Amino acid sequence: MTTCIASERQDHIIAWFAALAIAIHVLESAIPSPIPGIKIGLANIVTIVVLVQFGWRTAAWVSLLRVLIGSLIIGSFLSPTFILSLGGACASLVVIGVAYTLARHHISAMGYSVLAAIAHILAQFWLAYLLFIPHQALFHLLPILITVAIITGIVNGSLALAVHKRLKLLIQ
Amino acid sequence: MTRADLIIIVIAIAALPLFYWQLWGPNYPGTDVDIIVAGEKPQRHSLLRNQTLHIHGRLGDSIVAIKNGKAAFIGSPCPNKQCIRSGWLDDNGETSACLPNGIMLSVIGDGIARFDSINF
Repeated sequence: MTTCIASERQDHIIAWFAALAIAIHVLESAIPSPIPGIKIGLANIVTIVVLVQFGWRTAAWVSLLRVLIGSLIIGSFLSPTFILSLGGACASLVVIGVAYTLARHHISAMGYSVLAAIAHILAQFWLAYLLFIPHQALFHLLPILITVAIITGIVNGSLALAVHKRLKLLIQ
Repeated sequence: MTRADLIIIVIAIAALPLFYWQLWGPNYPGTDVDIIVAGEKPQRHSLLRNQTLHIHGRLGDSIVAIKNGKAAFIGSPCPNKQCIRSGWLDDNGETSACLPNGIMLSVIGDGIARFDSINF
């Protein structure tokens, strides 16, 4: 007796984009960061593009699969890095989920990217403070981190806009 | 890019100075000082009460003064007197240590600590 699990188009889309995001995630982890704790997060471009093209559910799948499998490949699974990564991804998904539900027709990839970047760093900061470095002096880093988050959000947002423009032409 | 995107970016950038002002701006004066002798429980003294304390350490007695909301080592049996040179401490998080004598002062207060660690 054989059981057959049917895969739908949706599953293929998730698998393709998750694979792409994981590849970018792993490649980016090989690039040394200029300042510890600061990363552009290029893999998030994939999440944002999937969000505007295919909706929030697909984006959530792609984002969480990327965090899980990316950490398995890099070897940081269940390490502090993984916990921060997962926390950031979840917070971003919640925030862009709210924005998507409220103002789907008004916000483009750029807006989602900036919102996600800020949610990401705030969640990571909060987790880092709560779990790893419970010292108040950590708060002096927060303004710098948010500044960088806004910049990376805008950079990723414009990249996501460009990718989405070409992707739309391909799909239609 | 849409108008909603622009609004999001403008709000984010407008909120930034608030963060800098709030987290980098004000000093938080301490309310108490912890005197920590190696291997013992810290003793907490209020910075409001002026007093001079003799603290027994590994080499001998260090003299700690508390005056007008500040605390400092004013006498020490250690050879190079780094602890005395670090002067008066008053901000939350400020710390001075006399390693030869095994004694440390650490200012405690409300709000955000100014330093997490200090190197000499």
